[in-house]
Amino acid sequence: MRKRSFILLMILPTIILISFIIFYPTISGVLLSFKNYSLYNFGNIQWIGFENFKEIFSDIFYIDVIWNTIKWIFFSVLLQLILGFILALLMKEPFKGRGLYAGLVFYPWAVSGFAIGLIWSWLLNGQFGVVNDILMKMGIIEESINFLSDPTIALYSVILVNVWYGIPFFAIMILAALQSIPNSLYEAAEIDGAGYFTKLFKITIPYIKPTLVNTVLLRIIWVMNFPDIIYGMTRGGPAGSTEILSVKMINTVFYESNYSLAAAHGVIIVLILLIYAIMYLKLTSKKEFSI
Amino acid sequence: MKKIILLLVLVLSTLMVFSEEVITLNLIEAFSSPWRTPTLNKIIEMFETLNPGVKINVISPPYETAYQKINLMISTEQPLDIVEIGDWNLSTLASIGKLEDLTPYINSWPERNDLINGVLEAASIYNNKPYLLPHGIFVKTLFYRDDILAKYGFKGYPKTMKEMYDMAKKLTESNKNQYGFDFRGKGYPTSFIDIVVTSFFDDIDPNNMYLTKSGKIIFDDPRAVEALNFYVSLYKDTAPKDSINWGWDEQVNAFVSGITPLLFQDPDTTGMLNEMIPGKYKTAPLPIGVSGKTYPSFGFVGWGIPIYSKHKDLAWKFIKFVSSAEINGYWSKAYGALPILKSVYDYDSYFSSDIFKGWKDMFNDTEHYQFTQYPLDNENWGKWNEFQEKTMQQVLLGKLSVVRCLKEWTDFWKEAGLDK
Repeated sequence: MRKRSFILLMILPTIILISFIIFYPTISGVLLSFKNYSLYNFGNIQWIGFENFKEIFSDIFYIDVIWNTIKWIFFSVLLQLILGFILALLMKEPFKGRGLYAGLVFYPWAVSGFAIGLIWSWLLNGQFGVVNDILMKMGIIEESINFLSDPTIALYSVILVNVWYGIPFFAIMILAALQSIPNSLYEAAEIDGAGYFTKLFKITIPYIKPTLVNTVLLRIIWVMNFPDIIYGMTRGGPAGSTEILSVKMINTVFYESNYSLAAAHGVIIVLILLIYAIMYLKLTSKKEFSI
Repeated sequence: MKKIILLLVLVLSTLMVFSEEVITLNLIEAFSSPWRTPTLNKIIEMFETLNPGVKINVISPPYETAYQKINLMISTEQPLDIVEIGDWNLSTLASIGKLEDLTPYINSWPERNDLINGVLEAASIYNNKPYLLPHGIFVKTLFYRDDILAKYGFKGYPKTMKEMYDMAKKLTESNKNQYGFDFRGKGYPTSFIDIVVTSFFDDIDPNNMYLTKSGKIIFDDPRAVEALNFYVSLYKDTAPKDSINWGWDEQVNAFVSGITPLLFQDPDTTGMLNEMIPGKYKTAPLPIGVSGKTYPSFGFVGWGIPIYSKHKDLAWKFIKFVSSAEINGYWSKAYGALPILKSVYDYDSYFSSDIFKGWKDMFNDTEHYQFTQYPLDNENWGKWNEFQEKTMQQVLLGKLSVVRCLKEWTDFWKEAGLDK
């Protein structure tokens, strides 16, 4: 009994710390979403029930925001996975200058998302952007492309930048997994006459499947909660064509100064992620994948 | 004996120094920046030198959260004596009864009559009382690149909106990456849209830009259809398509590079332009609309005194000092705002230069330029900015018709109770 008390005493500071750092702000944020706390209403803060949520769901643009979020997550994660996988495969075998190559590949991961957004907003600018300039000089296009102001392509432009940013994460994770595959498996397969693709689909992918699943599932959460690049590049425009849930929340704070409404947006994001996390836990709690 | 007298003098003077009461005033600023805060500190140093026994303690919250911090500090009556207030949070603070009405102070202030016409009225948006004294004002004017205009055979700047459109259209050669107008599509394009739209009206309420003098919402008026169509033409015929995604940075870049030589902007743009293209640009009054009038608005920021301050007179002494012609000129130059006193424009060579011609002419021409105000005290004001930007972008992209957009805007303000 004394031992249990001692353990409890030892973990008490952690419990107190976590309560203050995580639970208090979360509960406070949820409570905020049921009030009318905004910069323009400071003298009359009241409990208003579900009014903020009603306002969100009566917004005619909200369905576009959800649809944008789905596209943003799907294309970003899919392309990051495919390209990250290819990069990891290329870097698996030792070659001259691999260190420098790895440094260049991992470089985007070291820069802040907002900075990347700003840099790319200039690179893709329709008037003075370097990308347009290069494409025109190479004769690929005749007129400059309005990457960020044409609503039909703006979302794909920001997705492309997000892909560029996220590839290193997948490359690092997959490379680590690839290096854990015993060479003997490949040697045995070669003796049996297996080609490159047979080895890839029969050995490599099944072996690293747990890493792939975990990385994709975690990355989906991060990408959903990652407004930095979009905010730096378009702030959700033009006409809301690049607005995802987390950008909408930021716009509610910075444009409308309506903190309660923004908190309600946050609660919706948390609920979506909660459902997703339950699915994720169910999936990952299954026994190890076998090859 | 001499030693004793010397010792006594020393002891007495030391006692006097230490017994002198030092009064500390707490000042909170809203727009802290690496350029502005040091200037404020220098002004405070001057004030402290001139007023021994007074110390000013500056609180500089990060710009992004400053309004919230100020509102919180004042609403919970934390020790503050001088507070910087912007046009956007003035009503909030005044409505909770925490700000001192500065009328008696301003009325006894000798430089009151030197204030630019309309500034005090603009700052009296709540209950018609000045709860702050502006220290800087922001008004949009027309910036133009006369070197580019000359290349296309234009000798002067456009005087009317129609002239500006025609000029911008002639300047536009998209194959040469040359356009006429420096359009703004994102990041609070509100005032830019409204300058164009209201220029089609001759009866705008001086107290509310979105109402006519008869109390009708302007977007519910047939003239608004014509106005918004003109605005769309300005984008489609004279501006780069990409500018639907432009904010201040892109606008200034396009102006500096000469791609778009006509620009509506605030005075804080001059700082950047003076560094990048000195002598290559001028300002002119905003072009006049078909109605014969144009309706600029004052953006302002100023100093107020919390009602619970224990040193109100001393706080006013500081505000008066900052607002004196000499300091206001020095402050505005460093900050990029327009001075609040007319005399500064004459005696300070910087403000009497061609760069400030646009503003000077507008301030002096009360026949064509009627200053008006935004409904900043309306609870829906913050929401309006995002809504107007998004719907306007939809119109520019052809996703929403002008008529439908105007109906949405009218409904928005009707729901916000603007026409009551």
